[in-house]
Amino acid sequence: MGTLLIILRKEFRGFFQSPFGWILLSLITVMQGWSVSSAMKALQDAPIPESLVYIVFHMPQFWFYFLALFPLITMRLFAEEERAGTLETLLTAPVQTAQLVLGKYLATLCFYLVLWIPSFLQFQIFGLLTDLDPPFSTGSLGGVFLLIVLMGSLFIAIGTFASSLTSSQIIAGVITVGLLFIHYFLGYITVIYGDQFPAASLFHHISASEHLRDFSRGLISSSTIIYYLSAAAFVLFMTHHALNYRRWKS
Amino acid sequence: MIKVDNLTKRFGRHSAVSGASFEAADGEVVGFLGPNGAGKTTTIRILTGFLPATSGTATVDGLDVAEHPLETRRRIGYLPESVPLYRDMRIREYLRFRGHIKGLRGDFLRRRMDEVIDRCGLGDVRRKMIKTLSKGFRQRVGLADALIHDPPLLILDEPTNGLDPNQIRSIRNLVKELGESHTILLSTHILSEVEMICDKIVIIDGGTVLASDTPSNLVSTMRSAGRISIEVKADPERAQEKMSALDQVKKVIHERNRGNWGEFSILVESGTDTRERLANLAREEGWPLRSLHRHAATLEDVFVELTRKD
Ligand SMILES: Nc1ncnc2c1ncn2[C@@H]1O[C@H](COP(=O)(O)OP(=O)(O)OP(=O)(O)O)[C@@H](O)[C@H]1O
Ligand SMILES: [Mg+2]
Repeated sequence: MGTLLIILRKEFRGFFQSPFGWILLSLITVMQGWSVSSAMKALQDAPIPESLVYIVFHMPQFWFYFLALFPLITMRLFAEEERAGTLETLLTAPVQTAQLVLGKYLATLCFYLVLWIPSFLQFQIFGLLTDLDPPFSTGSLGGVFLLIVLMGSLFIAIGTFASSLTSSQIIAGVITVGLLFIHYFLGYITVIYGDQFPAASLFHHISASEHLRDFSRGLISSSTIIYYLSAAAFVLFMTHHALNYRRWKS
Repeated sequence: MIKVDNLTKRFGRHSAVSGASFEAADGEVVGFLGPNGAGKTTTIRILTGFLPATSGTATVDGLDVAEHPLETRRRIGYLPESVPLYRDMRIREYLRFRGHIKGLRGDFLRRRMDEVIDRCGLGDVRRKMIKTLSKGFRQRVGLADALIHDPPLLILDEPTNGLDPNQIRSIRNLVKELGESHTILLSTHILSEVEMICDKIVIIDGGTVLASDTPSNLVSTMRSAGRISIEVKADPERAQEKMSALDQVKKVIHERNRGNWGEFSILVESGTDTRERLANLAREEGWPLRSLHRHAATLEDVFVELTRKD
């Protein structure tokens, strides 16, 4: 087993060794369950030309708990090691900074995927309990969960980066929230200022809410996939440098 | 085993280490001494690959620590000054994790864990959560971690810091025992510890190495080396005058009188012994002589002499 896997496993288990991980798991399950039931109610009350999946992920509360999730799962990663001094024991063992960054990042991503399992199952229940066709297509369900994974991979990278900048979990969390909101609102610039300026297509390209709109209709675009994955890789690269630089200068 | 050559580390404009050079041969136990802020921890962090040097080189087992970070780290067992540990882990769990990231596996790792738990006296507490341990036991867990991969070189940054006298003693004995089969760089402020277990001493202050020698050589080359006490029954002024006239005597101080007995301290040049001539003088003058004693300089004298700021 490689060093990366050892770090990954330790970090991943760490999420479940405190009540914190379980609380988050139930929180996401409850919030998503709430969205599903209110969405079904809305569909029952009036005909809406969108699928259940689309409505669930366009509930007004969605972005709040979705974006709040990332600082909670990432702020600890490096800030706590730095505060406790254990970064010194880690980086004086035969471990490369890159293995450490990737190990922690992938562990958090795995935990994040676990968080979404109950929600995914909630959509399956429909087919299990009724013999009706589910009120959504496989494409939209697949699309939306693909996007959840893609956004997660970038936003967790951003949180990991913030955590590598400071020895305070709180500050790391605040930086993460700040960066995620900036990212989110960049996607709204075209809504506010219209499309009549040269860089407008760039803002469309990185707009998380537009991605969600498209993917939850089953419109999967490869350029969006590439955007999230390459941005995540870039932010992880920055994290690696931030960690080294902090040691280098201090 | 260790070779530090002209090592410099600057933090901003402040130099924590400036041009330090020293060596530790295979199997040597080297005491690394210096006042607070001397640059010991910084030097150690460069050696262990946690900090990069601004300039100069540090090699472990012939390998440059900056060029071969993983290979040199595998050869080092490091106990950091603050003994950072994961509070929420149990001792065995922690040692297993540390063994794993140091590349140990399976049965071999289990054997090593049992060995270091035994060696560091952790047997009775091995299932405990680290956050419930006392400072002494946490220090032992740190030491067990340093030993787990059986490295030839141990770098211990103040391993007895903050322990009670019994704990200090047992850690010291452990280090002494380990010194028989390991090269050790031991940073500490407890000079008696160094005298007891070190083959060599490196004294650093302001980031530069002031002395690097065996304890006995350091002590014997000290300026303040020879101080002799003598008690004779004699007229103090005449005695002082006569004794001052002897060769190699720098100064004679009349300390006190106890009844008819006068007590004198005599400072002599280093590397000389004047006791025989003092005894002869007393006989010639017909002074009854009650005590004649040479105070050996201590490591503390050496340390203070080299590092005091006046
Ligand atoms: N990360 C850092 N940033 C800035 N200055 C530092 C840093 N680490 C150490 N220093 C400074 O470098 C100097 C040497 O510190 P160092 O910790 O190496 O001393 P030391 O010999 O280990 O002292 P002590 O006996 O108190 O442990 C000190 O003046 C310290 O303030
Ligand atoms: Mg120190």
